[in-house]
Amino acid sequence: MKCRVCGRESTADLCRYHGEAEERLRAAYPHWVRAYGGMKWKDYLDSVKRNPQTGQWAKEIAELLKGDSE
Amino acid sequence: MSPGYTLVICEKPDAASRIADALSGGTARREQVDGTTVFRLSWKGEDFAVCAAQGHVYGVSDPFDERAVYPVFDVEWYSSDLVDEDASGAARRISAVKKLSVGASRFINACDYDVEGETIGFNLLRYACGGKEDVALRAKFSTLTAEDLLRSFDDLKPSEGSGLARAGRARHAIDFVWGVNLSRALSQAPLGAGHRYRTVSVGRVQGPTLGFLVERECEIREFVPVPYWKVSGTFEKDGREFVAAYSRDRVDSWSRAAEIRADCEGKDAVASSIRRGLAQIGPPVPFNIGDLQKEAFRAFGYTPSRTLELAEKLYLGALISYPRTGSQRLPPSINYHGILRGIGKMAGYSASVEELTRSELKPVQGEKVDPAHPAIHPTGENPRRPLGVAEASIFDLVIRRFLAAFGPSARREMVDVSLMVGEHEFGLRGGRTVFPGWMKYYGRYSGYRDVGLPRISEGDRFRVEGVSAEEKFEQRPSKFSQSSLLEKMENEGVGTKATRADIISTLVSRGYVSGESMEVSDLGLAVMEAMTQYAPSIVSTELTRGIEEKLGAVEKGIGKEGDLLRETVRSIASQVAELSANEEVVGRQIDVALVNIVSKAFALGRCPVCKTGELRIVTSRSTRKRFVGCSNYHSGCRASAPLPQRGKIRATPKPCERCSWPVVYVVAGRRPWKLCVNPSCPGRKRA
Repeated sequence: MKCRVCGRESTADLCRYHGEAEERLRAAYPHWVRAYGGMKWKDYLDSVKRNPQTGQWAKEIAELLKGDSE
Repeated sequence: MSPGYTLVICEKPDAASRIADALSGGTARREQVDGTTVFRLSWKGEDFAVCAAQGHVYGVSDPFDERAVYPVFDVEWYSSDLVDEDASGAARRISAVKKLSVGASRFINACDYDVEGETIGFNLLRYACGGKEDVALRAKFSTLTAEDLLRSFDDLKPSEGSGLARAGRARHAIDFVWGVNLSRALSQAPLGAGHRYRTVSVGRVQGPTLGFLVERECEIREFVPVPYWKVSGTFEKDGREFVAAYSRDRVDSWSRAAEIRADCEGKDAVASSIRRGLAQIGPPVPFNIGDLQKEAFRAFGYTPSRTLELAEKLYLGALISYPRTGSQRLPPSINYHGILRGIGKMAGYSASVEELTRSELKPVQGEKVDPAHPAIHPTGENPRRPLGVAEASIFDLVIRRFLAAFGPSARREMVDVSLMVGEHEFGLRGGRTVFPGWMKYYGRYSGYRDVGLPRISEGDRFRVEGVSAEEKFEQRPSKFSQSSLLEKMENEGVGTKATRADIISTLVSRGYVSGESMEVSDLGLAVMEAMTQYAPSIVSTELTRGIEEKLGAVEKGIGKEGDLLRETVRSIASQVAELSANEEVVGRQIDVALVNIVSKAFALGRCPVCKTGELRIVTSRSTRKRFVGCSNYHSGCRASAPLPQRGKIRATPKPCERCSWPVVYVVAGRRPWKLCVNPSCPGRKRA
């Protein structure tokens, strides 16, 4: 199987790098909701994608999840 | 050639020249033997011939040297030119030493006194001089000043069975066996998976070092920032404004930050507690090589390998002591007064020297020791030639660090004031140097700044001018710099003081990491992934650290190199077998990474004509000339542009501001230049 994002060999639909990035992205969401007093999932993905501090793999996952949710 | 002379073997030609000068008082005769300079002289009624290697003139290799054959565990020592194409002069130097050894009745190893120097001397004495390694005498010195050299030749030591050389030879053998087997396994893997042969290498210290970089790279690339707010207040007292930070570094929600602001605005703050303290700051310990490399990076931005190279030059010029030392100690035997007298004659240091020599000279000492050499220090000699800017910078840094070591502790007054606005606390902090002590001698390298505060008493009132809440995001971990990577290697016990800088340079030259940003490439990730999956112990810090410790024991004469070699071979054999059994998967992983790298190297940016394709560097099949073409060529996009045919071309991240075509760096000659690839660009010019 190949990673949906980068094409690396993997045992799931995401490689271990992008899999870890997805976990982190999901774990950070409640913190953003609390920080701004509420935030929609899609807006969160947009904000994370635009943020210069976000890592490359996390951005790629944000893009993927945004596409999935549309 | 007259029989009965003493043959002195040095590590480098500059050192041979200095030794010949010191022994002869400048009257040594130069002659050429097989194209190698040899110095003839008399000293204390005896004849001497002084010759030099040029670093390692012997290297290890396997007798078959077939890149497809692995594992290989039989290694032998060969003339370096047979195993390394860059060592073309080795055969000449070996031949000269062989000829000179015929007429010699006594042998002196005067190579640098460390593992590598001892190995170089040992090999020449064993192979070129016909087994003289046990009878040769040893000249031990830490500087190339005439005084130090004469002292060492007056006090020649017998051969000690050289644990240093045995450890050095074992290190070379282990590194070769390690590197050749793993590199061949990794390089053959794409071939086994039906792809082309690619040279991919991984060395013993390279593996764990790449591991540190990959671990950090993953943290950076997976990072998701969380927002927070930084609250600070502007306060006014007696017409002066002060900015004080809120007591909690971060406020986790926007609503809480707004509450704090609303609570404080329009109110007064009261100075509720004032803590004053006097901090004593002792001088920094003398430099070992790692400390010098870190400080030179901080002060001048020099990479560790550049600093080492510059320090070596200063050592060969007899301006500083031997730089590849682990010691942070300055023993009295180096002659503090003599060195300071010399420094006092150089422009810019005389006042410092005069002050320091008024009292007893007792330098601060660090904890790290090195039995072979003291901490890096100036010799007190004035440069005989003008120094380049970089050399002069390192020289100044070494001198000032040496002077600072003799200085008294500095004293800084620190003040912390709590300003309370109702329940909210803000902190004001000031600090100033009240007694500079050693900082005066260390000058601009000391790095402390004064932040002044007025006299404040408890109960003083401040008017709140405003409270701001700035939205911030957690910062992703910072990339390693070459300097911080060196520090990490040191802390983890990976590599030696002499080799760490070279290991970092090798990772860059192998394409595993970029030299400037230290960003790990796809190839670096793929190699590490394959290794952690199929040969985890090879890249583990524990294994390589364990080998370093055992090599250390061999150096001290308490460990046996044969046992260590056998143990290492066992570890490598099992891991190489595992890699080989999974050749197909490993091969695919590495090939994908290599294809990505090549593809990135040729990609220049989005095509401004069709807006969907990518402009790439393409080489014409018929003319072999390179040009820019669009990846949508087969779909009809005809965007193309000529490129300079000479020099390297590198993409830049930003397209041209005028026409949106890609801008490239052309590296040809001394100065690289920027070029918009669009021949019709209105602003096209060299940048």
